[in-house]
Parts: sequence; structure tokens; C-alpha cells
Amino acid sequence: MKRKLTPRYIIIILVLVWAVYAIWPTVKYQNLSDDEIETMRDEGTLQDLESKIIKQGLDLKGGIYIVLEVDIPTLVSNLAINKDKRFEQALANVSTKIDVESQLDFFQVFQEEIDAAGLRIHRYFDVDFGGSLEEIIASLRDQADDAINRVLEILQNRVDQFGVSEPTIQKQGNRRIIVELAGIQDSERARDLLQSTALLEFVLIKSPELTNDMLLRIDKVIKGSEELADFTQTDEKEYIIDTPAPISEDKTISVSDLFGEQAAQAAADTSDTAVVVDQNLVENRPFSSLLRALGNDIGVPEKNLYIIKKILAMDDVQDKLNAANGQFLMSDAPESFTSIDGLQEKMYRMFYLEGESELTGGVVEKASATIGGTGSSASGQSIVLLDMNSEGARTWSRVTGGNIGRRVAIVLDKKVHMAPVIRSKISDGGTMIEGFANLDEAKDIAIVLRAGALPAPVNIIEERVVGPSLGADSVAKGTQSVLIGLALVLVFMIVYYRLFGIIANFALIWNIILLLAVLAMLDATLTLPGIAAIILTVGMSIDANVIIFERIREEQRKGKTPRAAIDAGYDRALTTIIDANVTTLVAALVLYQFGTGPIRGFATVLFWGIVISMFTAIFVTRTIFNTMTERRSLQKLSI
Amino acid sequence: MRLIKETDIKFMSQSRFAFFLSGAVILAGLISLFLQGGPRLSIDFKGGTLVAVQFIEDMDVNDVRQSMGAVSIEGRAHDYSRAEIKHFGSARDISVRLPILEDQPENFPQLIVNHLYDSFPTVVPADQNDFILSIDKVGPKIGAELSGKAVMAIVSALLLILIYISIRFEFKFAVGAIAALSHDVLITIGIFSIMDYEISLPIIAAFLTIVGYSLNDTIVILDRVRENVKSMKRISYSDMVDHSINDSLSRTIITSITTFLVVLILYLFGGEVIHYFAFAMMIGVVVGTYSSMYVACPIVVQLHKGIKS
Repeated sequence: MKRKLTPRYIIIILVLVWAVYAIWPTVKYQNLSDDEIETMRDEGTLQDLESKIIKQGLDLKGGIYIVLEVDIPTLVSNLAINKDKRFEQALANVSTKIDVESQLDFFQVFQEEIDAAGLRIHRYFDVDFGGSLEEIIASLRDQADDAINRVLEILQNRVDQFGVSEPTIQKQGNRRIIVELAGIQDSERARDLLQSTALLEFVLIKSPELTNDMLLRIDKVIKGSEELADFTQTDEKEYIIDTPAPISEDKTISVSDLFGEQAAQAAADTSDTAVVVDQNLVENRPFSSLLRALGNDIGVPEKNLYIIKKILAMDDVQDKLNAANGQFLMSDAPESFTSIDGLQEKMYRMFYLEGESELTGGVVEKASATIGGTGSSASGQSIVLLDMNSEGARTWSRVTGGNIGRRVAIVLDKKVHMAPVIRSKISDGGTMIEGFANLDEAKDIAIVLRAGALPAPVNIIEERVVGPSLGADSVAKGTQSVLIGLALVLVFMIVYYRLFGIIANFALIWNIILLLAVLAMLDATLTLPGIAAIILTVGMSIDANVIIFERIREEQRKGKTPRAAIDAGYDRALTTIIDANVTTLVAALVLYQFGTGPIRGFATVLFWGIVISMFTAIFVTRTIFNTMTERRSLQKLSI
Repeated sequence: MRLIKETDIKFMSQSRFAFFLSGAVILAGLISLFLQGGPRLSIDFKGGTLVAVQFIEDMDVNDVRQSMGAVSIEGRAHDYSRAEIKHFGSARDISVRLPILEDQPENFPQLIVNHLYDSFPTVVPADQNDFILSIDKVGPKIGAELSGKAVMAIVSALLLILIYISIRFEFKFAVGAIAALSHDVLITIGIFSIMDYEISLPIIAAFLTIVGYSLNDTIVILDRVRENVKSMKRISYSDMVDHSINDSLSRTIITSITTFLVVLILYLFGGEVIHYFAFAMMIGVVVGTYSSMYVACPIVVQLHKGIKS
């Protein structure tokens, strides 16, 4: 019986041609030098090539993976009006519940909480939201859905302007966004870029008299407070993991230490103070004694920052601030000062501002970063130039015109970037912001201002950074392992099965080529676990052939002719191979469903590795055997 | 060449001894798990911060520990010297792991990196980006979700496999196979606990791969049992199963050898990140091969007896 083998060979050759075609761009890309890559980037052909290659995951390329969650409680709080204690308490309760059980739906819990507290919800939301509880909850839900879509869009915009090749930004569920930035090294910069709500505000600063008055009131409120005593105690939680190590006392700042230093320091500062810090009254002035005078501003020594923030967040203090319609905000970065006795100290500036802003970033039409020209007040500094729309320009003109001589703070994300004195009316809306560490920071701020403010704050709930050296190391070690593993298996198979071993080895190499081709075609991402899966495929894909070979040997022992032994071997082995491999496929599919990033890469490679090995064993090696038994009359099998 | 000639090993009569052996290993693992209050979970599941950095010279862990005694965060000094600090692959690389702490600022991992970078100015690369090997920060929510998902993944894989085998073979085969898989995963978790290795996301991937691999092995043998049931009606069921294991023994050993070889290579040369994954797989390959013969088959035989009587 002569079998028609030609169609089989045509299929095999076609598949091989396709595989080489699919892998070719990857091979080409790997061999490009950095210069050639740059040239291609300029020509615009790089993107085309990059879209056809096997992508490397963040764990190989280096990069940043961040999961952001839109802060729905804050969004709801921002949308609410006439907020009071009871409302805020209800909202806080919901937040705690959600944190404990993350699968709970915020709005469901919120609705229950409002109900339970007997709050009349329409008091807190504009009539546009509807009248009944259900209506209001429904429109809040819409607002939240809308918010995450806007956040997604804005982040997309920011990342595009930042200039990352092939960023991935996608929604996960209805509150989360996953951002993957490959090849980025500066994680801090990326984090700032993503997380900045870009809320730009222009807020008037209150007069030194009012400031002093407020400091006094806060001193009075917190004097002798137990809560204050708590902050200054050791409040580190027990966090031993499993390493017994010498334990030293926590170096928490004690208030009494500060007073000692404060007394020495303040003596040097009292010369030019608008805000007087009187060291003789430290016990009576627990708040202001933590502060220093910096010309007309208040200075917060870096080491006191934590306590100051804690004090400002105390309920009693917040009540006083709300009553006076004021707020304290810090400058965005500390400055270094040298005291008379030569001590270096880092200090933030603290400002007492009006409770409401005059103008927000929504009016910004254009924002660009540059270096201040010579002759200007910001000569040589990194600055951001703003252009406002006509409405913004009108308001700005009115605000600046009406407050000449007062100071206005330019606040970004609740940090004061600068607080200049208004010298004259600004009528064209053109404004300059200074106070950036370098041009990169100014550029990033310009990007976030152009892309717009986020409708709700976002929290980073997961963050993974892989440095480029670790990625490169993983690639090198992974490749090395694949090659050594492959070599060992190839040698083993030849020694063990001789001629059949060579055929199995041919099949194995063919498997790997086909696997890489499929990965390139599927746009799959190769991760470090993915490389591990390639190695596993090398070990496991030989299995299908082993099952067949052992079966052929067995049939031969029963006295069958080579031809009959091969036929019987294949027939018997087929169901075994399918049943045995389907179960591993099930495991791979479940893994794909469960995992993200690297784990998915593993599952993808494992899945295709098995599918291809089945195809190879059943179709390709079979064809080769048939040819062998066809062409010459085999008396003995070399197996 | 043939490693395995035709064999006639009485697997079923050895199974009593095998049960004691398996039982002892599993018990040791369970005791270890009990003493340690459960498996040691990585930050993937517990939440926390893991920072790995690379110095340009070999570092003493104690020096790093000492420097972690005073980390300034928002001007406030914190003592993190009790954190888990160890070498990460080579002696130049150090990893620091911290649990989720209260009042932790958003850029906490960066602050730790900065602190380490500034603490040893003479032995760090000039560019701070070359200093960072990896940073992982996992919030408590994500950790809890992943734990749930991991358990779900393993359970649903087992269920799907149970269904598949019940359809393609018989229910008693499915029970034997699932028992073998559970045995393999239990032993691997136990050994991880005894060795004090932690369970991270890649380890869960390894568990699922072990499940797949062990099953592969089991099914090849059970497939032979299915075939021999028809042709060997004269001998007892238990002898027939023995015969089937012997028939496929050669294949079982060869595939295990090639798979073990590549996993060993991965363990030796794959690098720190993949090291524990490869370790889990090594255990899995050995235990998986053993359990197909000594756990799955005896259970099938016992179930067969039970059904008959």
C-alpha cells in the first residue's frame, strides 16, 4: 500500500515557512545595534518592526507595573455639599468596611450606611442628583463610572506626552487601572506623573496677624491634649517578621528634646520675625514651639513634619480651621538652612491660606516648561508658563486687581509651589509658576496640567519595579538555561534512541521554532516564567515521542515487522498522548485565568508548547517514519 | 540503549510501605506548617514592601541591618533593623522586606532605596537607577484578593481535571488521580515549610504545573490500565495494574529524566528570581512520578475491590 505523503510534506513545509517568516523580525530586531534602532526610530519604521517581534515582559525588559484604584469615597465626598460630621462619619464607616472586605460594592454599603444612620441624603447633594436615596445613589454610581473613564483617558494622555514606547494602560474591573511602562527606570518620576491629581489652585494667603492668631488658638486647643502625647510616644507597630536581631529603642522624636533645641535655635531667629515664636512659652505653646520663623514665612523643620501634620489633622484643630475658613499647607520640598551655630537644617515652609481657592487649573489652556530668561525674576530657574482661557483670565484679572499687595499661593496637589506678592493686575491670564527642582519636574508638571486634573484621587495599591540590570540578568540566565537544557536533552535522546533519537530531536527543535513563531504571531509577551515554560516544554514535549517510541519497541518485541510496529505504536499511543496532555492544558488555562503579567506569560507558553508538541509528534514525526518505511524495506529499526 | 528492560515489579504489594513513607513525609510537612502557623507567604499574598538593590561590592547583611536602624521618613526616625534583610542571589545584592506599616507614605519603597543608597555612598553605582534591582509593593487588598484567587485556581483546576478524567476514564480513576495530585502538592508545600521557603506567585504557578505534570504521568499509566482491562481478564485486577505500570515504566522514567534534567538546569543556572520556582518543580517531578505509581494506582485498586464486594 503506497501512502500519499506529498500533501503532508507540503503542509509541513508551509508551516515551517510561516514559522520562519513569523520569527524573522524578532531575529532581526535582536541583531540591531543601538544606532540602527535610533535610525529606524527616526525613520518611523521601528514601530512597525516592534509590533511583529516577541515582546519582552517588564520582568525582562525592566519597567514599572502599577495598579491604581480610584478613590471613590473621596470622589463622593468631593461631590457632596453642606457636609457635616454625621455625613463624614458615615462615609468613613463605609471606607473602613470596604477596606476590610474588598469585594463589597461601595455604593451598596454607602446606601445601607446612610439608611442606618437615618441621614437625609438629599441635603448633601445637589438637586441634579435626584430626590430619593435610590436616585442619588444611582447618579453617584454614574459619576463614579464616568470618573474612572476620565481618569483612564487623562492618564493615557499624560503617559503619551511623557514619551514611553508601548505603554499599556487598561481598566481592571470598575475601579482599577493597570499601567505598565516598559523600559522606564525612574519609578519615582513615573509614580508622580500618574498619581498627581494635578489639582492646581490659586489661593490667597491670610495676613500675618490672622496667622499668628490661628497659631495661638491651636496652641490653646491642643495644650495638654492626650492625643498629642500619643503622637510623641513610640507608636511603631510590632513588625518582626522572623529575623531575631538586636533590638534598639525606636528613635522617635520626643517633644522635650525639641524644646531644648528649639530654645537654642529660636534665639538666633527672633531678629526678623513677623510670626513670633517665643521660646519662653514652649509649654504653653505646644504647636508653635515646633515651628521656626523664616523671614515672613513659617518654617517647619523636617524632623517635626510628622507631628505637625498629625496635629493639623486633629479634630479640634480642624474645627478651629473650618470656623476661620482657613487651611495650612506646606511647600512642596524642604530647603536647607544653616543656623548661626553652623547646623544644617532642612525646613518646609508652611502657609496659612484662605479656605477656598480663587481659581483652579480647569482654566489652564496651555502649559509649557522652560528655563526662565535672563533678566526675569526667575532667571535660570525651571518654570512652567500658563495660559488661561478667557473666563479664567477674567477671574484672574479681577482677583489680582483686587488684591494688590497681598500674597497668593500657587498650590498644586495641596502643596504650595510659590507664594508671590501680587504687584499688579494680570489681565491676559499669562502666569508663571516657579519652585521646581529641575527642568524634568517642571516638564512633568506641565504635562499633568495640560492633560487636566483627575476627577478623583487615585491610590497606588500595587507597584512593581524591575531594574534594567535584573531584567538583563534574567534574560541572560534564562537563555543560558534553555540552551544547556536543550543540549542535554538532545544528547540524551541520541544516546538512548539512536536514529529515532535524531528524529525526536528534529521534532524538538521544530517545536521550539514553532512555539516562538506562535508567540510572535499572537502578540504574546515573553516573561521570565515564560522562559521557564520554554524549558519545561523542552523537557515535556519529548514525552509524546517517548510514548510512541516505547510503544514501537514494545510492538517490535512482540515480533511485528518494523512497518507494522510503527503503525501499531502510533495507533495505540495517540489516545494516550491526547488524554495525558489535555489535563496539562487544563492546568495552563486555569493559570492563565488566575494570573496577571508574568504568570500569564508562563501559562501562554506552557499551553502552546503542549499543543505544538502534540502536533509535532502526531503529524510531523509520523510523516518522517512513513517515509523511512516507504523508501527502503527496513529489516530492523534503529530504536 | 535501554535503561529499563522488561520488568516485573510488584508495585501493589509495595504500596503499604509507600503509604507509610508518603504519610510520614506529609505528616512532617503538616507538623512544620502547624508549628509555623501556616505556610510562609510572600508579600504577594500578605502585602508589604520588598526592595532589592545591588551594591558594587560584597555587602555584610549586618552592616545593612545596622543602617536600617534609623530610617528617616518625613523627618521621623524609624527603626527597621528587625526587617527581613538578606542576600538576593549574590553577595553584592541585598533584599529588604517590610510588612505594611501604618502611616506609610506612598513613596515608602523609594525612601528605603534612598536610605540604603545614601547610607553606603562608597559602594553604590553612580546612577541610582543601576542600584535598584526590583521594588515590589503590594497593598493589603491586593494581597487578600490574590490569596483567594490562588486557592480558587488550584481548586478549580482539580475540579476540571476530575470531570475530564471521569468522562474519559472512570470515576475511580479520577479519584486516584486527584489523590495523587493532592499528595504531590501537599508534600511540596510541606517541604517548602520545612525548608522555610516562602510561597509566592511563581510558586503557585509551579504548583499548578506540578498538578499538570503529575497528572500527565498518572494518565499514561491509567491509560494502560484501561487498555489491559480488556486483554488481561484472566489475572487479578491488582496484578493487571502491576503489569500496566511495568509496561509504561520505561516511558515514565525517560520522561521524568528529561524533565528533571531541564528543571535542574533551571535551578542551577536560572537566577535568583526563578530559583524557588525551579526548586518546587524539582520536587514536583520526583514526587509526581512516584505518586502515579504508588498513590494513584493503589487507590484505583482499592476502589475496584470496594466496588466488587
